[in-house]
Amino acid sequence: MSELEKNSPVPVAPKPALSESAEDARTQALSDALRSSFAIVKVILIALVLVFLGSGFFVVDPQYKAIVLRFGQPTGGADGELLGPGFHWAFPAPIDEVVMIPVSQVQSVNSTIGWYATTATQEATRTEPPPRDSLNPATEGYLLTADANIIHARGTLRYRIAEPGLRYEFGFVDASNLVQNAFNNALVYAAARYTVDDALTRDVTGFREQVRARFEQLAAAQGLGITVEQIDNMQVLPPRILAPAFDAVLEAGVKSGQALNEARKYEAETTNAAWSGAAVRVNAAENAGVRLTNSIAAEALRFLDNLVDYRGNPELFRRRFQADALGRVLGNAQDKILIPDRIDGRARELRLQLNREPEKPRTVVKDEHGH
Amino acid sequence: MKRNPVTQIVGVLLILIFASLLFTFQVRTTEVVVVTTFGKATRPETEPGLKWRWPWPIQQLHRFDKRVHNFESPFEQALTSDGFTLLLSVYAGWSISDPVIYLERFGDSSRKAEESLEGLVRNANTIVGKHPFSSFVSTVPTEIKFTDIEREMLARVQDEVSTNNYGIKVSFLGIKQLGLPESVTKLVFERMQSERQVKVAEIESDGRNKAAQIKSGADLESSKILSQADARALAIKGEAEKAAADSLKVFKQEPELAIFLLKLGALETFLKERSTLILDQSTPPVDLLRNQVLPEAKK
Repeated sequence: MSELEKNSPVPVAPKPALSESAEDARTQALSDALRSSFAIVKVILIALVLVFLGSGFFVVDPQYKAIVLRFGQPTGGADGELLGPGFHWAFPAPIDEVVMIPVSQVQSVNSTIGWYATTATQEATRTEPPPRDSLNPATEGYLLTADANIIHARGTLRYRIAEPGLRYEFGFVDASNLVQNAFNNALVYAAARYTVDDALTRDVTGFREQVRARFEQLAAAQGLGITVEQIDNMQVLPPRILAPAFDAVLEAGVKSGQALNEARKYEAETTNAAWSGAAVRVNAAENAGVRLTNSIAAEALRFLDNLVDYRGNPELFRRRFQADALGRVLGNAQDKILIPDRIDGRARELRLQLNREPEKPRTVVKDEHGH
Repeated sequence: MKRNPVTQIVGVLLILIFASLLFTFQVRTTEVVVVTTFGKATRPETEPGLKWRWPWPIQQLHRFDKRVHNFESPFEQALTSDGFTLLLSVYAGWSISDPVIYLERFGDSSRKAEESLEGLVRNANTIVGKHPFSSFVSTVPTEIKFTDIEREMLARVQDEVSTNNYGIKVSFLGIKQLGLPESVTKLVFERMQSERQVKVAEIESDGRNKAAQIKSGADLESSKILSQADARALAIKGEAEKAAADSLKVFKQEPELAIFLLKLGALETFLKERSTLILDQSTPPVDLLRNQVLPEAKK
């Protein structure tokens, strides 16, 4: 009998010895199983804790900076402590929340409030819907110019989030929409100050600078917390229905430019010809002057050389010089005709037929019939 | 009974986690939370961090985004003071200024708040009627009151928001788009078409005029250059003749000789090339042949 049975006031029925030993074995097995289970649970718990703590590691990419919100509040004071690119750790959620801010990344928004309605397919295939003779403002975008005309304009604004970036990230529900609207406003504002010709052709750069200046003013006033990189893909067009009329103006400008160029060419040629003609005339005059002076001087010298001889016997001098001169003249003459005196001593009649140029024979033009 | 310390720690942690879920809540830096106790707004939590609360159903949380929201109004038609019809679309940045009042007015829906704001912006479009069309678009920069109009509209909206006590504030407002009624755009196109035609005519006539001016200017310049050259040539000739006249003084010693020599020189120059001389027998030196029998004469 067992000790329990001995001390019990109630008589306990004796159990068979085989049954007792089996129960002990089961209890022992259960106890062992529980111990093993607890050990497994402990390992699992430790593993879970490790996984939980390990889930706090994170990597910040080069174009980002990160800020940790602890229980929803930025760590590092009001300006927040920005974590640069690299490997970092924070308490896992829900204690900490890591917010990545694309501070270095260039972001962009497009403004299409001034552009006519197109579909993505048309944009991709570079086609456009047929132009209409009026614009429905609900579907067709356009801008009003300073001279109350209509233009189409669109562009892309590229910007970066200004550090620390908390204003852009935590200040607005959808900051890019506000940036886009400020860009839209800048386009409307600039168009209202530029005439259609200035915006389209005469001062395209000025128009773009006006857009940028207005946008930067709005971004500062609204505290968007961004830095403008550039405005590109800027397109400004006249209404499509009026494209031929605007092309005609451009063609007229080109033709006018050609006429001016031809006139300038004529100016250059005429002036140069005048200068060269003037030089010829002056040179000819100088040449003639020099020749006159030299020839007179030579004659004077000749005169002085012969003065003494002439005064000695003027008649003989005259005849000698005259004969010499006639000899030279006759020697140089192409044709020499000597008309002998008539035998009867009377004057001989000489008839000359003078003609500058011989007459050309007339050319007879015949028609196809030979007439 | 001996307790396992790990089990105890785990148990305490579980209790803490469960209790924190029941009795605390987080306010994110972008949020504002209104705590209601049995349905009545008891306190707003506007600062971020970990906050205490009584568990549901005693207290409930209403979370709102306290950041600036972007609002865009549809096109609204308005008349300017000089009678032009203008279509106007504006955008505005608004945020929750009093979360308790906001909750009372709009519940948890920001859409309802924007619908109310749309009505206020529509009312503010009456500002357009105080300004002429040239205050919006003009070739005279001083006439444009674009920014002033935006400021006036913002002030009007802010006043009405304050008067209606919506629990929101509007930080900024800007014109997103300006337009004209569709029928007016057709007229504008017709005007632009005629303007282009006028411009073509102007450019062509301007080009012609300028080209003609350039050509006539060139002709004038050419004439000036040539006349100046002629004058210069004349002066040179005069100077040469003056110099020659000085040389001619020597001829006064024997004018007959001078004339004779000059005549001889002139004769030689005159008959230098391609000349045909017809001489009779009285001309020296051919006169030497007089009274001689020529071979042709014999025939």
